[in-house]
Amino acid sequence: MLPHPDQVDGANSPDPVSTDMARIGILGVGAVGARLARQLVSTDDDQVVLRDERRNRVEVVANSLGDRATIDRGALDDPLDVDVVVLAGPARTQAHVAEQFVRRGIHVVSTTDDLTDVRALLALDQHARERNVHVVIGAGFAPGLTCVLAAHAAKKFEHVDEIHIAKSGTGGPACARQHHRALGRGAIDWRDGSWDARPGGSGRELCWFPDPIGPQDCYRAELPDALVIVPAFPGVRRVTSRVSATRRDRLTARLPMLWPTDPEGGPGAVRVEVRGRTDGRGSVLVYGAMDRPAVAAGAVAAVACRFIVEGSLKRFGAAGLAESVDSLAFLSELARRGVRAAVFEGETGL
Amino acid sequence: MKMIRRAMVAIGMGALVAAAVRLRGSGVAPPRSGGWRELSGPGLD
Repeated sequence: MLPHPDQVDGANSPDPVSTDMARIGILGVGAVGARLARQLVSTDDDQVVLRDERRNRVEVVANSLGDRATIDRGALDDPLDVDVVVLAGPARTQAHVAEQFVRRGIHVVSTTDDLTDVRALLALDQHARERNVHVVIGAGFAPGLTCVLAAHAAKKFEHVDEIHIAKSGTGGPACARQHHRALGRGAIDWRDGSWDARPGGSGRELCWFPDPIGPQDCYRAELPDALVIVPAFPGVRRVTSRVSATRRDRLTARLPMLWPTDPEGGPGAVRVEVRGRTDGRGSVLVYGAMDRPAVAAGAVAAVACRFIVEGSLKRFGAAGLAESVDSLAFLSELARRGVRAAVFEGETGL
Repeated sequence: MKMIRRAMVAIGMGALVAAAVRLRGSGVAPPRSGGWRELSGPGLD
């Protein structure tokens, strides 16, 4: 394994990861965790160790993966003999577990899209740097793919002024519950160098996503995208994130979920609008992607694991993908796995 | 009793107005032209 040029060897650095066959622990085998396990086993020839409190579910997933998958019956934060651990469980459980694995010198990939989780994971940065450990935050559909698209778009500008994220659709039931909760809670926007708290469900904006999702009304919500994007773009003036919702979603956002969710989720999309300047002239670039959110999130997390195993991340510590990866290499690998990005070509006032 | 009735009417009217504001129509869709193209080539442009 060749270390990345930015990486510095340290006496307390974790053991090098063999690129032949890495051992990846997956904590949580819901819609995203199961897709991730499938990617790692079939595309990357890795061994996966599955851990989930739902015994039946973890057995079903492990049986579908064959010999490369094993089940571990430990608690979520119990030690695990793996090279990388992926936190794919429910929101608000990940920060404590991540801290335990960072303490043991094991790289962590988190698929969380919960604001509280992301804040707590970012707080592990110094801790992880000291141990030469990677903590990849938000390796999913949004944040995750959105961060990489923003980084890719930013390459076209000398200076990035604004980044606006929108997402539509949910993965499995846990993702749907998180989406529901987020819509009823306060949002944060980055505006002129400070965080601006705004009510969830406000700020309606009609966003065009890649076909066949098309136009969707999107609203502010308790989304963590700005938290991981702002550090990657010094000098950016505005970063916002929105999520698509129906009128029923908005009306019932502060109530418990009143209807069942699709166990596999439906089709979804992300849209990243980047405004910047080159030679003093402002312009807008809009990237997007359409896929089933759980499938895309599984692929993004799998590629993040692969980048860790191959030593391709830019730095140790806790950070989102916009800060951690080369966007071209990451998007190329995602495209190879069937998750393809698109650019909007037309008038900028969409 | 009269005061309670008035308070309940006020709360009900407030709820109706809030629901109407919450559910109001999205209006006219802004104009759009162009379309999505898959990123391709060695630079994914």
